[in-house]
Amino acid sequence: MSGSQPCFHCGEPVPSGARFSVDIDGIAQPMCCPGCRAVASLIAGSGMASFYRQRTAFSEKPASDTAPSLDEYRLYDDPSLRSQFCHSGEDGSDTARLLLGGVTCAACTWLIEQTLLREAGILDAQVNLQQQRLLVQFDNTRIQPSEIFALVESLGYSARPFHNSSQREQIEQEYRADLRRVSVAGIGMMQVGMFGIALHAGDMQGIALEYQTLLRVVSLLVASFVMVYSARPFFTTAWRHLRHGSLVMDLPVALAIGLAFAASVWATATGGGEVYFDSVVMFTFFLLMGRFFEKRVRRRHMLACHDAEGSLPLAVTARRGETWERIPRRLLQPGDTVRVVAGETIAVDGTVLMGTSAVREDTFNGEYVPRTVSPGDTVFAGTINLEGSLELAVQQLYENSRLAALQQSVERAQRAKPNLARMADRLSSWFVGGILIITAITGLVWYQIAPEQVLWICLSVLVISCPCALALATPAALTAAASALRDKGVVVHGDNAIEALSRARLLVFDKTGTLTEGKLQLERIEPCGPLQRETLTALASALQQHSNHPIAHAFGDFAPVASLTDPVYAIGAGVEASWEGQRYRMGSERFCRELAPELQPVPDANLYWVALCRRDQPLAWFGFSDRLRPEAAEVVAAAREAGMSLALLTGDSSSAGERLAAQLGFDHAGIGMSPDDKMQQVRSWQEQGHIVMAVGDGLNDAPLLSLANASFAVASATDLARAQADFVVDSDNLGALITRLHKARQCTRIIKQNFAWALSYNCSGIPLAAMGFVPPWVAALGMSLSSLIVVMNSLRLNKSDD
Amino acid sequence: MESLYLLIPIALIFCVIVIRLLIWAIDSGQYEDLDKEASRILMDEKSGQQKSPPKKDNSDGD
Repeated sequence: MSGSQPCFHCGEPVPSGARFSVDIDGIAQPMCCPGCRAVASLIAGSGMASFYRQRTAFSEKPASDTAPSLDEYRLYDDPSLRSQFCHSGEDGSDTARLLLGGVTCAACTWLIEQTLLREAGILDAQVNLQQQRLLVQFDNTRIQPSEIFALVESLGYSARPFHNSSQREQIEQEYRADLRRVSVAGIGMMQVGMFGIALHAGDMQGIALEYQTLLRVVSLLVASFVMVYSARPFFTTAWRHLRHGSLVMDLPVALAIGLAFAASVWATATGGGEVYFDSVVMFTFFLLMGRFFEKRVRRRHMLACHDAEGSLPLAVTARRGETWERIPRRLLQPGDTVRVVAGETIAVDGTVLMGTSAVREDTFNGEYVPRTVSPGDTVFAGTINLEGSLELAVQQLYENSRLAALQQSVERAQRAKPNLARMADRLSSWFVGGILIITAITGLVWYQIAPEQVLWICLSVLVISCPCALALATPAALTAAASALRDKGVVVHGDNAIEALSRARLLVFDKTGTLTEGKLQLERIEPCGPLQRETLTALASALQQHSNHPIAHAFGDFAPVASLTDPVYAIGAGVEASWEGQRYRMGSERFCRELAPELQPVPDANLYWVALCRRDQPLAWFGFSDRLRPEAAEVVAAAREAGMSLALLTGDSSSAGERLAAQLGFDHAGIGMSPDDKMQQVRSWQEQGHIVMAVGDGLNDAPLLSLANASFAVASATDLARAQADFVVDSDNLGALITRLHKARQCTRIIKQNFAWALSYNCSGIPLAAMGFVPPWVAALGMSLSSLIVVMNSLRLNKSDD
Repeated sequence: MESLYLLIPIALIFCVIVIRLLIWAIDSGQYEDLDKEASRILMDEKSGQQKSPPKKDNSDGD
């Protein structure tokens, strides 16, 4: 097995030396870890192997190597916890709602549904791919929620109770209401269009008045239903904003629809003039359709709203009298004692009472190098305990923890995000005013010349100035751009994000995990003993197999030496083991010096160094660094070419940040910044008038991402960061940033072209109509044509290559 | 041309039926997850004993 071979289950490279494989459809497939093997053999063993043929994306790597025992999930059977996500139906069955993680494609939904449905006691299981939700109906006398959780997790997905929020519920209802409106408008359009063709044919060939009236009356009937049912939001929005003194695009839309409809009703009643029912209904349908797609793109991620609390474990091990018990985290009180074993997420802010370990605090500073803690130190909720078991005195529960403060600053940032006025809304405020004035003047003038013509000429002016094209200009282009981006693996969900992105001139990067790969890699070996490099790496690789430290992953590509005996893992120091009769140590300088006092000092300060030695003989220094992404320099250069200035804001306080900024040529570098510092900095830039685009990955970047005018989360970002970012790049390639930027700018160009076309059409049509040269049916035709041109122009966004 | 007096009302009745059907489908949650439905047909090959109809809990949003 070579190191470059991808794991059949999760797609990550299989480390050399890993000997995991699973027989799938008769072929032994390579696996990268015991976790993937367990999941894959479960899937293959239960006859679900066709999952691997159907899926369109690799599965996510299971979080842990060993499936947690059922006891872990017993908690969910606790009535108080259970009532939060289960409810009982009339037929005695229960329905539970779970939020899933790791559902990457439709095949995953099939796998989960089929596996659950085979289980006795499960009546129905439905996975919603878009919202990553599982709805499962079960018979609570035969199966318990804990077993459902265990089953889902054994397939390699994560599951947690789904708590509904009122916001989520509202989004849900809005989606359904929008869909209903669009479909009614669509069906109405077909009907009215059918009658419309008959009427237009009648205009040309002649039609008996009796049938003309019949067709008009029926059109009126259908169109009024569409008006009342589908077009109502235009009127209510326009009116709501008008009361606050602002003119929005919905106002000319409402005006045009309303007046054209009113005129048609009048024409039907009096039997003269012209009817526009078909145009009115068609316009309503197109506009609703454009908005529906625009909203649908955004809804996707709003529903999966992740909050920081979701990353904390639901159960903790707490001391109750003389024994340790698993209890729900919510039952903890300040002052309680909890135990956190290695690998667990710390659930509370607390002080270490007993034990030594290293905690990874990338939640707060984005860094990968853990901090060593010992009794008396404070640890925070949301960080991960890497090495040894800790006993903590609970100081703060979630509500007052540092993690909750982070979540609050995300919410604060959301509110503080400056609203860039939409181009269409800015335009429409003077457009509406202009139209009304021109119509009034036309009316007055014609009243002097020919009073009986006034109504029809005024109507022509209004119809020809109908801002359909203008109103469609933005949504059509944005929808086309969003769908073009989605095909390239970018999810767009920010309101207004594409416009903001195209105008951004300041690009802010986070360092770890964004510009760099976010994991330590072996950079240099400085041998200082008799052994060869190959032996050194093999030895180190073998030793690191017994370590929980992040550097252990850096040795995955090296074949370890065989027959290493009695390994001892010293927390916060290193690993020790025997090989060929000698005792070896690998770890911190102090730890190794105990064994080999003449160990040389650390070579230089730029890398993260770990020593290797045996008794009385230093062997080598291993230098690690978090490597820059290979495409980073290219991206930075391209951004500069696109006229952006660049800034680096990092939580890392070492000199690495400054060196990186100098190396890549950043204009501004801030190091050792807390999430709040980052926010302050971005806000001050925004106050100076900069439009800021931000790129980040960690939980600590979430406030920054939600404050920036346009923001990107990279593929490996945490859920909270993804939820806050306007764009999520699916492929793990920063180069995507630049293509998005170009796409956004192209989109704005198209919007401007649309505006230019719509305005010039309106402006040239209005004088002609005002002079009485345009019969209303020509006006109606022009109205449809101009909209069509806008839509076609926007579709160009879809096909261009980048 | 008198047939119009019969045909148009029939068309309208169909129209009403279609709208009612569509609204029923939307409200029963059949359009909630358009991403999955597209590939659902490919997945069902040996779906075991139980084949669940596309019914969805109506109280989804509560």
